[in-house]
Parts: sequence; structure tokens; C-alpha cells
Amino acid sequence: MTTSQETKDGADRPQADSAVYVYGIVPGDVEVEESAQGIGDPPAPVETVHEGDIAALVSVIAADRALGTPEDLQAHAKLLDGTAAVVPVLPLRFGAVMTDEDSVAEELLREHHDEFAQALKALEGQAEYVVKGRYDAEAFLTRLLSENKQARQLSDDIRNKPEDASRNSRIALGELIANAIESMRNADTKTVIDDLDGIASQVNPREPTHEWDAVHVALLAKVERQAELEEVVGRLSENAGGRMKLRLLGPLAAYDFVVTARAQG
Amino acid sequence: MTTAIQPAGGASGPPGGPSSSSLADVIDTILDKGLVIDAYVRLSLVGIELVTIDARVVIASVDTYLRFAEAVNRLDIANEDSKAGLPDLVDDVTSGAAKSKTQGVLDAAGEKLSDLLNQKQPQRQKATRVRSQREDR
Repeated sequence: MTTSQETKDGADRPQADSAVYVYGIVPGDVEVEESAQGIGDPPAPVETVHEGDIAALVSVIAADRALGTPEDLQAHAKLLDGTAAVVPVLPLRFGAVMTDEDSVAEELLREHHDEFAQALKALEGQAEYVVKGRYDAEAFLTRLLSENKQARQLSDDIRNKPEDASRNSRIALGELIANAIESMRNADTKTVIDDLDGIASQVNPREPTHEWDAVHVALLAKVERQAELEEVVGRLSENAGGRMKLRLLGPLAAYDFVVTARAQG
Repeated sequence: MTTAIQPAGGASGPPGGPSSSSLADVIDTILDKGLVIDAYVRLSLVGIELVTIDARVVIASVDTYLRFAEAVNRLDIANEDSKAGLPDLVDDVTSGAAKSKTQGVLDAAGEKLSDLLNQKQPQRQKATRVRSQREDR
């Protein structure tokens, strides 16, 4: 929306024009590799701010730039997920920015030191994984039409009427399909959760984010048991035939399992 | 003991292992999960502008219903046409069409986001919340 506001002398930017982006919180003995890339263009270096037994992963960024490019989002996720594969990390939601490193140390880390240290300890050796499944729309509808008489009738009705006369039937058919997806989704989600039960220490079903979503489940598991997870998801996917496709994402930072009492608000 | 953090590059994970996160997967995760900094920090918070997407989908809406019905209609047409003769060709065409129509809202959201960000306004973007597919009943 802005036409032009030229303040592009990045080199001698005064202090107040910079801010500190916070990715997450890690144990204090963690070191960041020099090749780690943060958000921004070009990617900002990633640094640590230490306080007691814990540290924050941060980048100094320009305060006057809006955040949220696809690269920013990917960088945030990549850094934290890469971290989670090797050490415990408490991920912050995207977009956490503080004034400077001192305030990160004092206000964020010192104030909540024990709470964070405890949460990190609980995550030791574990990471988040996400199982995502998507129905094959064509297979789903073909099966529904062959099994469900009402769906078949509505579909015939729609075909034999002009478009404006069939609106009610189209809505009824669509609603029937939405309900069928939902009940199948519930059944498939339950199957997946049951099968992961022995491996996951915690499970958190997520809301579907797509209308053909079959399964959307986050789980916390030991990183060393990843191969078992892959096997379970592989088998479930095979059992489903062409009906749905399952993917396993991870190891990820434990975004779904870091709700603390105060953060829950 | 000191542990190094690896940037999660292509090297992580064995071949045949878990798939890597797409932009849509990332949006699903980092925009509304994770610790909320406001719950911990009050004084030194910087209100930086975010250009993000509200990617939630409300599943049950009239618009969704009509889209489902349309998908059935396309399926019927495909079946009839294949009975009538041109099976392979028509099959291909319709399944392609069906695919593009039922493409993910999130994928669409991702594209929207890219569009937004490609408009070259590197300095000050207005905080833009794009709502995709958000119908209230």
C-alpha cells in the first residue's frame, strides 16, 4: 500500500531500528552451527542468548520489515525442526519479536527459567511427528454413489433438472458428502491413533485444514523409534489401498505439545 | 556436553523416511501452534507487522456443499462419456479437471501468500490477513 519511503541505508542503521526475533528455547549447552540460517532476506545469522541453564535461539532483524514471506515461514520451521531432531526445543509461534537481547535474557528467560528448563527436560529424546492423510476425492465419491442410495437419487435428480431448479438437491447431496467424509475421517483418525498408541507418548488430533483431510494427528515420540513410526504409517497407507494417502512429517519441534499453564490463556 | 544444532537441510532423514514439510504443512503448524510469546513477555514485545494467512477451513458451508455436488456431477459426466466411447481421453481430461478443482485450500492459501509477497513492496507492508475459504454458516 505504501508508495515509497526510502530508508534503505542498512549499514548505519541506528539501534532502535533493529529488533530480536525469537525462534525457540533450548538447553543452555546448545551451540548453533554457523551454517544455520534464520529468517529474512538475506537470511539472518542465528545466535543464542543464554540465561542460567537455558538459551533462546534468536536473530537480529530490521524492525521495519513485515514478516511472513514463505521463506520466513520455512526458515522458522526448518531451524526449529532441525534442532528438534537432536536436542529438545520449545518452539515459539511464528512472529515473536522482542526489543533486544537483554530483554530476551531478562524478561523471557530469567522470569520463566524453571518452567522452561522443566519443559525441556520432559522433551528430552522426543520430537513431534505429524500424520497427515488425504482422501482421494474420485475414489471416495465413486464408492459413496455405489453404496448410498440417497446419494445416487440426488445425483440423478440434479442431472435431470436445470441448474437453478436443482439447487436444493445439490446442497443436500453436498451435505450428505460432507457428513460422509466427516464420519469416515473420525473412523480413520481413530484407527491411526490406536495403531500409534504403543509408540507415541502423547497424541494430539488436529482440526482438519482441508475438506478432503482424512487424518491430521500430531504425536510426540522418541526420535529413536522413528523407524517404527514409519513402519506403522506405511502399513496403514498400504491397507487403505487407493482410498487415502498418508504422509508422516517429522521430526518436528513439539509445537502441539508445549502448552504451558500460562500460555494456554 | 555440547550439542550442535544442524540446519535441517536435505541431508536429514534417511531416504524413504518421512516426507519434508511443504509450505502448507508449515502454515498448518507454526502460525497457530507453539508457545505464544505474549503469554510470557509484556514490556519488551515488539509489535511487528505480520503478513500471514488464516488458513483454517470451515468445513460445513453451502459453498462447500455445492462444490462437492459439482464434483459428483463431473464424475457422472466422466462415466457417461466413457460409456459413449472416448474412455481414455475423457477420463484423463476429467480427472485432471477434478484434481485442479479440489486442490487444497491450503495450497491455494500458499499461492495467495506468494502472490501477496511478490508484489514488490519490500519496505512497509500493511498487515494483511488473507482469509481463504472462511464462510460462516
